[in-house]
Amino acid sequence: MKKNNNLKYGRIFAAVLAAFGIVLGLAGCQSLGPKETIHILSGSENKELEEILKECEKKTGVDIEMTYKGSVDIMHILKEGADGYDAVWPASGLWISLGDTGHLVKHDESVSTTPVVFGIKQSIVEELGLAGKDVSVKDILEMIRAGKFSFCMTSATQSNSGASAYIGFLYALLDKKEALTSEDLSDENLKQNISDLLSGVDRSSGSSDWLKDMFLAGNFDAMVNYECLIIDANEKLVEEGKEPLYVIYPYDGLSLADSPLGYVDHGNDRKEEAFLKVQEYLLSDEVQKQIEATGRRVDYNGVSDENKAVFKKEWGIDVDRILSPITMPSEKVLLKALNLYQTSFRKPSLNVYCLDFSGSMSGEGRDQLIEAMAQVILQENAEANLLQAEEDDVNIVITFDSDIKNIYVLEDTDAKEFENLYHTLEQEEPGGGTNMYAAAAKGLQMIADSYDVRNYTPAIILMTDGVSMDGDKEYFTNLYGKFGMDVPVFSIMFGDAQSQQLDELAQITNARVFDGREDLVSAFRNVKGYN
Amino acid sequence: MKSKLAGFCVLLLVILAGSGYYIYQNRTTSIRLNGYLGGEKIGFFEDEEVQKILKKEYQIEFDYSRAGSLDMVTADLGGRDYLFPSSQTALEYYNDIHGKALSDEIIFNTPIVLYSHKTVVDALIRQGAVSVVDDVYYADMTKMTELILTDTQWSDLGLKELYGFVSIDTTDPARSNSGNMFAALLANVLNGGKTVTKAEVQKIMPKLREIFSGLGYMETSSSDLFNQFLRMGVGAKPIIAGYENQLLEYAAQNPDEYAKIKDDILIIYPTPTVWSTHVYIALDENGKIGINALLDEKVQRIAWEKHGFRSNNYDVTVIEDSFQVKGVPEEITQVMNMPEYDAMKEIIENLQ
Repeated sequence: MKKNNNLKYGRIFAAVLAAFGIVLGLAGCQSLGPKETIHILSGSENKELEEILKECEKKTGVDIEMTYKGSVDIMHILKEGADGYDAVWPASGLWISLGDTGHLVKHDESVSTTPVVFGIKQSIVEELGLAGKDVSVKDILEMIRAGKFSFCMTSATQSNSGASAYIGFLYALLDKKEALTSEDLSDENLKQNISDLLSGVDRSSGSSDWLKDMFLAGNFDAMVNYECLIIDANEKLVEEGKEPLYVIYPYDGLSLADSPLGYVDHGNDRKEEAFLKVQEYLLSDEVQKQIEATGRRVDYNGVSDENKAVFKKEWGIDVDRILSPITMPSEKVLLKALNLYQTSFRKPSLNVYCLDFSGSMSGEGRDQLIEAMAQVILQENAEANLLQAEEDDVNIVITFDSDIKNIYVLEDTDAKEFENLYHTLEQEEPGGGTNMYAAAAKGLQMIADSYDVRNYTPAIILMTDGVSMDGDKEYFTNLYGKFGMDVPVFSIMFGDAQSQQLDELAQITNARVFDGREDLVSAFRNVKGYN
Repeated sequence: MKSKLAGFCVLLLVILAGSGYYIYQNRTTSIRLNGYLGGEKIGFFEDEEVQKILKKEYQIEFDYSRAGSLDMVTADLGGRDYLFPSSQTALEYYNDIHGKALSDEIIFNTPIVLYSHKTVVDALIRQGAVSVVDDVYYADMTKMTELILTDTQWSDLGLKELYGFVSIDTTDPARSNSGNMFAALLANVLNGGKTVTKAEVQKIMPKLREIFSGLGYMETSSSDLFNQFLRMGVGAKPIIAGYENQLLEYAAQNPDEYAKIKDDILIIYPTPTVWSTHVYIALDENGKIGINALLDEKVQRIAWEKHGFRSNNYDVTVIEDSFQVKGVPEEITQVMNMPEYDAMKEIIENLQ
């Protein structure tokens, strides 16, 4: 009986303690609880704002995690529900509207704006007498035709700056002053004109920020990019004692990126509150000034006095000019135009895939590699990601171990041929050592022997675990120097990957290394975006 | 000792239960109404002054989910007490699908207006397409549609720095109410100033389609379009169509920002225009309580002064000298009826 009573009181006491615990616990959550984190899916151009975001974390008490993707990727991820992301921040609101079919995005507001422009080496601008003049896309086309200069531009099917510039080109070449229509795209002169213009593209990229990095690492005439990234590039060029770029605003094909930051509503009120804090901070007067100091425009009436020095007149930057962008076409027409870019208008690609079939790739590595090839050479898959081949593309596949195993060359885009090639690759068995340098050198030799590299966007794509004998390293380096062709050697890593040798190759050839084990399709979109 | 401890525990329990009950009581003295709300009224529903009056004097609180005016009619209405769309068409659509609404009432109105920049408005005045009466700008919509349909370029109007044809940007008429109403307005204008009937739709459709096909990509939310208009400058969006309350609310909520732009950003009243009618539809008995609460004069006054919605009560919609936005008429006189629901439906289907 006594024992029972004890038990009873004990229970009541425990219940009271528990009740207190809950009350205290709840109170604790409010004031001392873990910090809220918001995960932002962002365009690469916002990398430049990292300092400002760090300060934002301190001031708002909200942790910010950034994942950088191209605008087309952001659109795809939104379409699939954007799981794991609390906010999106693409270069242009267009990609939110196209991607947000589930109505998840709210509170979207433009953080800053920046036009898509041509940045051309100052000496070339002077030589051509372009400084201070109104220049049209048609003028630029004539200069490209006359071989006056070439330029770098991101892929229109992967990145907002490339897509915007390309759509602007179409408007200018068709002399359109209202929205582009489907019929316009069948105009008989268009294909020749746009192909001529895009033949001036000597390097491409899947993202605007990396285009800028690549530009700085190489020796190119010009690039199409955001005004703010041209400003950033110029600051670095001047620092290195190099020639800066001069900004040209093509008046008949101009577009404006509005950089909207929007909340992705997964029904978590605390995330929403944290998001609004961050957004309010970024839109506050003081922080807008800091953002303006990075070369972004925050007020259409002009640039504030304290930041005037950032927007240098001698770089051709004109803040008094009224920016009058083209009208974006409807979704249907836009997607058709992007498809045409991929399948018909862009400069043809010359892809050399070097596939590692050495022993270390056995099992998982080999399976990942075959899956990767399925994504890019089976045209049905490629099309879903706007990566499909165009009629003049050349695809070469070299399989290797310690030696070259097989070489396959595809010079047409018959889907059946691609399928056959895929099934042949499926049959190859891994074994033996690894000599990726020999394979890359073979690819380079084939390009030099059989193709005029000026007519293609070339790339060697190594798909490997990255651990190679290095006897032929010098041979490759010498050969690369001897040919003097601008052929990037990209790598996609698989299996038990080591990136050191691959990073070295990327450095020598102004390319990049991607991890194919994490997000294969995205790695591919990146690599293919670069050529 | 033990019994003392037990007594203390019981006392604590009583206190906890008591305070819990108190909180519970406080929460349930007001009824929570759940429904769908047009996005343009979120600022009004989130207004703490409004919430206080509704709770204190009417014992109600509004929960809402944001939805487009037409979308909400076909949405899952389970557990919902009200719909609060921004057009009469939505009510007709509701009555068509679900049968006569339990109760409905117009809470407030806002006309469809044009927003533009000073330089553009000056050019339009020179063209005779815009006139000024008592400091209010009015657009002659017949002349405006003519300018658009004859492929007039901005440079023809003396605006050399603007590229392209004269156009008025709007939201997607199939997905957003303001675009939908602007399409109706243009349809009426093209119909010689008479409200379009279903039988007349095909007659005006070719021209209406031409106006809209020139616009290309259209935003799906009126607030997004308005924000872009404010943000990107005259070159990007020379003229947009929107609700009158958008600028009035912006000016009331952001007086400092508004002060910077007020000489440049102007409201133009189309003649004729159409009313965006914010009609409240009660779905059940609880929902009906919302009607009286929203029609409360104090609430109506806040809706006008802080959010720019015009009350049907003329004592409320007055313009004091202190009114921030200039060029706003006290009364909107030249208003046309929206086309009937069946005509609207055909117009939208033909624009898609």
